Amino acid sequence: MTSTQQTPLLEAQGVGKSYGQFIALEGVDLRLNQGEFVSLVGPNGAGKTTLVNVLTGFVPPTHGRVHFMGRDIRGSNSVELSTRGLARAFQLVNVFPDLTVRDTLTVAACSQLGLRWRLFGDARSHRAAAEVVRATAAAFRLEGALDIVASSLPHGKRKLLDVASAFALRPKVVLLDEPTAGVSTADKHGVMEALLVAAREMKVGAILLIEHDMDLVRRYSSRIVAMQGGRKIADQPTDDFFSNEEILSVVVGKLETTA
Amino acid sequence: MSTEFTSVALGHTASLRDNKPGWFARRGLQAAIFLGVVALAAVPQFADAYYVSLGIPFMAYAVALLGFNLLFGYGGLLSFGHALFLALGAYASAMSARHFGLTSIEGMLLCAVGVSLLVALPIAFVASRFVGIFFGMLTLSFGMLFYSFLNKFYHLTGGDSGMNVPQPTLLGRSYAATGKMEFLTGPFYYYCLVLLALGVLVMWGIVRSPYGLHLQAARDNEVKASYLGVKTRQVRGVAFLISAVYGAVGGVILGVNTGLADPELAYWTHSGHLVFMAVLGGFQQFLGPVVGAFVFILLQDELQAVTQYWRFFLGIVLAALVIGMPGGILGTVRALWNRWRKR
Amino acid sequence: MSLIGILMAGVFHAAALFLLTSGLQLVFGVQRIVNLACGSLYALGAYVGISFTTWALAQGLPVPMFPLALLAAGLVVGLIGLPLERLISTIYKRPESFQLLLTFSLILVFQDVLRFFWGANPQQLANVAMHYGSVSLWGAQMPAYNVFVILLAIATAVGLGWFLGRTTLGKMLRATAENREASAAMGVNVRMVYLLVFTLGTTLSTVGGAMVVPTAAVSLQIGVDLVVEAFAVIVIGGLGSMKGAAAGALIVGLIRAAALVLYPEVEVLATYVIVLAVLVFKPSGLFGKAAV
Repeated sequence: MTSTQQTPLLEAQGVGKSYGQFIALEGVDLRLNQGEFVSLVGPNGAGKTTLVNVLTGFVPPTHGRVHFMGRDIRGSNSVELSTRGLARAFQLVNVFPDLTVRDTLTVAACSQLGLRWRLFGDARSHRAAAEVVRATAAAFRLEGALDIVASSLPHGKRKLLDVASAFALRPKVVLLDEPTAGVSTADKHGVMEALLVAAREMKVGAILLIEHDMDLVRRYSSRIVAMQGGRKIADQPTDDFFSNEEILSVVVGKLETTA
Repeated sequence: MSTEFTSVALGHTASLRDNKPGWFARRGLQAAIFLGVVALAAVPQFADAYYVSLGIPFMAYAVALLGFNLLFGYGGLLSFGHALFLALGAYASAMSARHFGLTSIEGMLLCAVGVSLLVALPIAFVASRFVGIFFGMLTLSFGMLFYSFLNKFYHLTGGDSGMNVPQPTLLGRSYAATGKMEFLTGPFYYYCLVLLALGVLVMWGIVRSPYGLHLQAARDNEVKASYLGVKTRQVRGVAFLISAVYGAVGGVILGVNTGLADPELAYWTHSGHLVFMAVLGGFQQFLGPVVGAFVFILLQDELQAVTQYWRFFLGIVLAALVIGMPGGILGTVRALWNRWRKR
Repeated sequence: MSLIGILMAGVFHAAALFLLTSGLQLVFGVQRIVNLACGSLYALGAYVGISFTTWALAQGLPVPMFPLALLAAGLVVGLIGLPLERLISTIYKRPESFQLLLTFSLILVFQDVLRFFWGANPQQLANVAMHYGSVSLWGAQMPAYNVFVILLAIATAVGLGWFLGRTTLGKMLRATAENREASAAMGVNVRMVYLLVFTLGTTLSTVGGAMVVPTAAVSLQIGVDLVVEAFAVIVIGGLGSMKGAAAGALIVGLIRAAALVLYPEVEVLATYVIVLAVLVFKPSGLFGKAAV
């Protein structure tokens, strides 16, 4: 994936967030362009989740602005943003315990297809919705689990479902908070592969993910953004990042000491 | 709504939910509905007139409960004031006759639906912001408010004597010549059966629709739902409106049945009965509340003949259900069926 | 009735409401449970208070000591909270609606229990209320007993504040309310805390009912009527807050007293207009912390 020169899909300008005395974010500029797969790294408490919260409108910034598809997101709520194409999955698994995998994906598909006020007609049989569900399930290898209720799924599959449902919105931008957390090492690559496949299949514009595993980060991202203490300390394409000894030692060193 | 809604309640995984598109789930339910309608249609031919007459309140409650359960079973919102709409339906029938001269059931139904939407809109606007305790207490309060309104504004509502609901014409035909009992156990019975069947079919469509799915998503995990584009507050509001309409239709049937619109219809214990019926039959199943209404009507009839303290037994049974058998009758039947199938 | 008269009546009703809702708030604050049967417990306290006091007076209890009899009745009946808590504990881990269903079933049960023992007619404690005569405050007349009840409510508020704020046990309760797991990890016996809190909450309601009954009759309707009013109090005051219970009770008490005198038909409606306004503009209430 290579970045192209055009209006960024998602942009943060001078974003800051304070909680009383505590400064969680300060002066963060970030641009997410079409085709990018960006990893957001940094020690715990660096402000990564807070940044994602601000980027998705979950939390308003104290300073700065966020633009999605060129429009300021201020005042828009999560429902509007997700319908406009900004999707997110949380760190803690968030599913619908009593809905099947198929139903969960159908919820997203129906939102995106504008079917939410249709009070008749089987949601699961709707051709366009079912196609989105099929494609998403295939991308995340959840076909076998389509009719299983979310609460019966093993943790790893639940995590996949959580992420898959965000993709089923056919979003332009997806933000993921540690999608491989709690997943066994053997499966981590599977999850990342699925993300790439899904992004391609669902024509997702860009992905930003918070990740701790540097091997995964190196292998799959096109660009790396490192944070510490609420500030951005590095923003480089992957190869540059990993070949720059200075930055690497600073970032990885910091990561190691605080690990 | 917390995350372990049905799973914990049923003690095991809910692979028996009716949103699983198995052959049985779809065909089985359709068959059950068809058989149910046929059975109900046959009742007047075989049963004693007394039991047939019990069929009318059963159908009234069944309709009201279909609406109630959209809110509770599918929406996760427990209303303790649903009887408000039953009363509204009955009073709308009385008033449409008195003030608009409408003596057709179609006129009464139209009036009831209209009034219920008018009343439900502002309530839904406020109540849709809340779930859980606040929703329950808010609806309880609205119900009681309506009750005291019905009692106090007697020049409008007839106070505690209520208002008369005249025997309506059905499809333009007047049955004034037939006796009340013949009317109720004959043409009116079948009219209500058609209303019930229609109500079931429409509600089945609603719960399986994209809207229905969004409602269930909002129930299961509000935050996640909003991140998947579900307009949780509006979705709940619409469910409230639909439930109000169903409640009002049930109220019209009750009003015609007794010939009276009575403020007691709005009293909190009446709402309690609805809750009880839903839990008794199984609120996690589509037809659960209908089954609950059926069993309750029979039970209440037996109980009231025996003791004036039926509320006590009702309370005990409800407590026992909540603690020990939250799946209700249908839920337990289904669990047993699945266990038997897996052998 | 003069303005002062309305004020006094309102404050008296507020005192009764405070006793009722302080129990609710306490239980909610610590256990996250709303006991819909609180009104029924209040009624129970009132009925038992009447019976016990009547019996005690017949046995020769000097009339001026009747408040003690009522208090005793209220306290003893409050112990019903112990088995009730055990019952409700069976559904602690279940979703909220189960809690509502269960406490609602209690209302049904209590309704008929009360009817069985005391019949369907309203009951009152005849003749004792005026025993202490009337007081004249700022030109309005009021039974001295009512003043006593108001003072009792204030004392209860102060007592609860002291208990929760200064005693070890009170601090344990607040800790458990803040964070159950952490408290348990630090050795707090959460089961005991829950049992204690629930019973205390129950007792506040039953004592409230018993103490108020001399100047107000009790009937079977009161159980649910009070739940409706209690809801108004906690919405206005804020769920989970003691200060909220006091503020809310005062507001609701005053509105009700004013409406009763000025425009009786809209009595409950007036309160609910305020409730709706609060729900629309500030759902967490005046002092509420819990997000709804």
